[in-house]
Amino acid sequence: MADSVNLTIDGKAVQAAPGTLVIDAAKKVGIEIPAFCYWEGLTLQAACRMCLVEVERMPKLMTACTLTVAEGMVVRTETPLVAEARKSMLEFVLTNHPLDCPVCDKGGECELQDMTFRYGAGEGRFDEMKVHVDEKQWSPVVYFDAPRCILCYRCVRICDEGMGVDALGVIYRGVVSEIAPNKEDHLQCDECGMCIDICPVGALTSGMYRYRTRPWEMEHTGTICAHCSNGCKTTLGTRNGQIIRGNNRDKSGINGEFLCIKGRYAFDFNSHPERLQSPLMRIGGKLEPVSWSRAIGEVARRFTEIRERGGRFGVVGSNRTSNEENYYLQKFARQGLGTNNIDHRRTGDVPALIDALAGRTGVLATVKDVYTAKASLVIGSDLAQQHPLLAYQLRANWRHHQSHTYTVTRGPVREDKYSVHGVRVEPGAELGALESLRDQLKAEPELVILFGDAIKGEAVRRLVEFGDSLGIPVKYICLVDYSNSRGAVDMGLLPHLGPGYQGVENPGMSLPEMLAAEDLDAFWVVGANPLEHNKLAADRAFVVVHDLFLTETAERADVVFPAASAYEKNGTVTNVCGEVQHLRSAVQTMGVKTDLEILGLLSKEMRINLGMWTPESVLREIRQTVRGYNVALPVIAAGGAAQSLPLNGRVTLDSRPELIQSAGDTLFTSGTLGRYSKTLLSVLEYPGVLYGEAAEPEADRR
Amino acid sequence: MASKIQDALSSAAALAKGMGVTLKEMMSPTITEDYPDVPPKFQERYRGVHVLQRDENGLEKCVACFLCSANCPSDCIYIEAAENTDSLRISGGERYARIYNIDYSRCIFCGYCVEACPTDAITHGHGFEIASYDTSTLIWRKEQLLAPASPRETQTAINPPPGVRSPV
Repeated sequence: MADSVNLTIDGKAVQAAPGTLVIDAAKKVGIEIPAFCYWEGLTLQAACRMCLVEVERMPKLMTACTLTVAEGMVVRTETPLVAEARKSMLEFVLTNHPLDCPVCDKGGECELQDMTFRYGAGEGRFDEMKVHVDEKQWSPVVYFDAPRCILCYRCVRICDEGMGVDALGVIYRGVVSEIAPNKEDHLQCDECGMCIDICPVGALTSGMYRYRTRPWEMEHTGTICAHCSNGCKTTLGTRNGQIIRGNNRDKSGINGEFLCIKGRYAFDFNSHPERLQSPLMRIGGKLEPVSWSRAIGEVARRFTEIRERGGRFGVVGSNRTSNEENYYLQKFARQGLGTNNIDHRRTGDVPALIDALAGRTGVLATVKDVYTAKASLVIGSDLAQQHPLLAYQLRANWRHHQSHTYTVTRGPVREDKYSVHGVRVEPGAELGALESLRDQLKAEPELVILFGDAIKGEAVRRLVEFGDSLGIPVKYICLVDYSNSRGAVDMGLLPHLGPGYQGVENPGMSLPEMLAAEDLDAFWVVGANPLEHNKLAADRAFVVVHDLFLTETAERADVVFPAASAYEKNGTVTNVCGEVQHLRSAVQTMGVKTDLEILGLLSKEMRINLGMWTPESVLREIRQTVRGYNVALPVIAAGGAAQSLPLNGRVTLDSRPELIQSAGDTLFTSGTLGRYSKTLLSVLEYPGVLYGEAAEPEADRR
Repeated sequence: MASKIQDALSSAAALAKGMGVTLKEMMSPTITEDYPDVPPKFQERYRGVHVLQRDENGLEKCVACFLCSANCPSDCIYIEAAENTDSLRISGGERYARIYNIDYSRCIFCGYCVEACPTDAITHGHGFEIASYDTSTLIWRKEQLLAPASPRETQTAINPPPGVRSPV
């Protein structure tokens, strides 16, 4: 077969690879063929008939979305016949479509509205009664209005093929056909809202956005989701300083069209009524609201006093604060307070991987690699629950490229439905089980290994040795939990490692040691909740907490600073694959400050010079000083993802890998933050289970 | 001498002409209105202070589609929408305007909002007495703009008869 096919579309010469669809070939030369049911990456449906085009030597109009290019083909998309066909098709589509655009949430960004405006007839010829069916609520976040549906099957396909959930189907026939959920009158699914996003009309609408505003009334800010570590871009629509909806409006992030329930709906923690909006100080045994200057002054005075008498500090950083804040915090602790007692909740053994791969290049996989690699191996993680974007990419890779997937997990996972080989193991036996896959993996041309917290410490080195022994190119992803878990490690929120995995002299105390140390004088928690399940042994310690809410840790504090959320600040975060992306402030909440500003004000009050505390200046310092973070600024500034590559030297390893423990969040939980999202709590599937997948192998079914 | 007689005659003629106009106007009906003693009369199409209309059941016609505010050249209309429920039904459609403000310090009475309205909810009334010493009072709320509901209509608004749905 030839490498490319030559054809003519509307008089323009087009070259396209064999097998390309005419609709895609036309797009390449800037010709838009309208279509409802066609969606790049999903199976072909040819249900809407909007993409009809004239092709020379073909007796009838052809659907451009199913027609593959052929040598010498001559396609015409703007002839009177095509225009007439489009007009008639729209008339059919509108036969039962109600004229309720003024109350429809899709109004203003509706594909049917746009198409009718461009190609449609001003009036229809049908004057029969329209079929009316009452609107249904399928879940707290999904509403379905059947009459508006044009039966393009996009939702059915994205749910089945894209998500692998298969929660939607079509019932009845002909004019009364209807999309139906999997549990008769409600949905039991991932509640990801992909069906709502993909719906070209207002048939599927979001329960959270319902009647809140209209699309043109909102401002849109593309930022990075505050929940899991995959780093999806979510576009926050805001009005009057309130986040009204999240979606991926321009599909420009590493996640493309994908978003899960957390990225799409779980922004509502931001306007939770329990948000702290004033600093609190313990006065007479009770936390009372005080002014910022008083709270900052008190903390600065106590910290200075403790530092001067040589007291012990314990500093806990966050998995969700920006790289700039993490960097500034560790600098504050190490240079300002003179302590290495700094840690965070460790959720994956990144340092061990960086150490095992020292000196190599091109061995850290990106999110895109998961989509393009010929084979992938998932070890010890329920990917669809814990890392939804990676699971989506892996699945898309299988759908589009027939890639091979292998899983080694302690229970059934969704990837098993299409994996070549799924191995069930007892927790802790993951590494040993790899041997049974050795021969199969050796036959693969390349491999991406994704491993969770089951592989840590020495096991990481042995995993890399196993990868080397296969004799094929292998890339790795160390799975971590939260939006900036990777950044927290990279920025040196560890007692034994500084920024960029540089070892420090005199390693400090780890988090459990701080909690157990009875002589701790000050305990400073920036955006974490270590006292959720633990007690602080040091009764007399001066406790300072930065948080959005009065968490268990904040309740024990002497001073609580109300912090800005990730949706209220600028900065950068690093996702699970080490890709650095820009956070953009979408809204402001009255009375809060970003952690960076709080750190800056404290350092000023304590007369410690740590440099300017704007995100831009700290990022400049990070790029100059942190190994692997000299990432391309234009890429980040333009909303892209630039991978940090910290692989150039040996790393001092902590000898206690048991401190590394994933929180085991599902699709519907997100640590302490998830407790404050009413949407997450409201869905039927909450709290979800890991390794709870039970279904027949999909590979057989197809 | 002749010129003096001529002057007198022309003055008399001018006087007679002027008095003629006066006498003629005395006979014709008055145009000047006795505002504020008598309420002024308007042409039917006069664009005065807006009125938010109600339907035959007394429910609000406005479904908070925001088209008026989108069409407004001076950006003076602010709306927040909410959903009707079975226990609280405000408008005939699925949604209603929880907040509907018009800022009369900005409004230029161009009538574009009225043209844009798909449910004929917003109309121009004949009200014009909105001058104020305090600009903050120029933001009119929905309660000030709504057409009055009769007691019977208010009752229907709260308890609509079954099957009442939006005309759109």
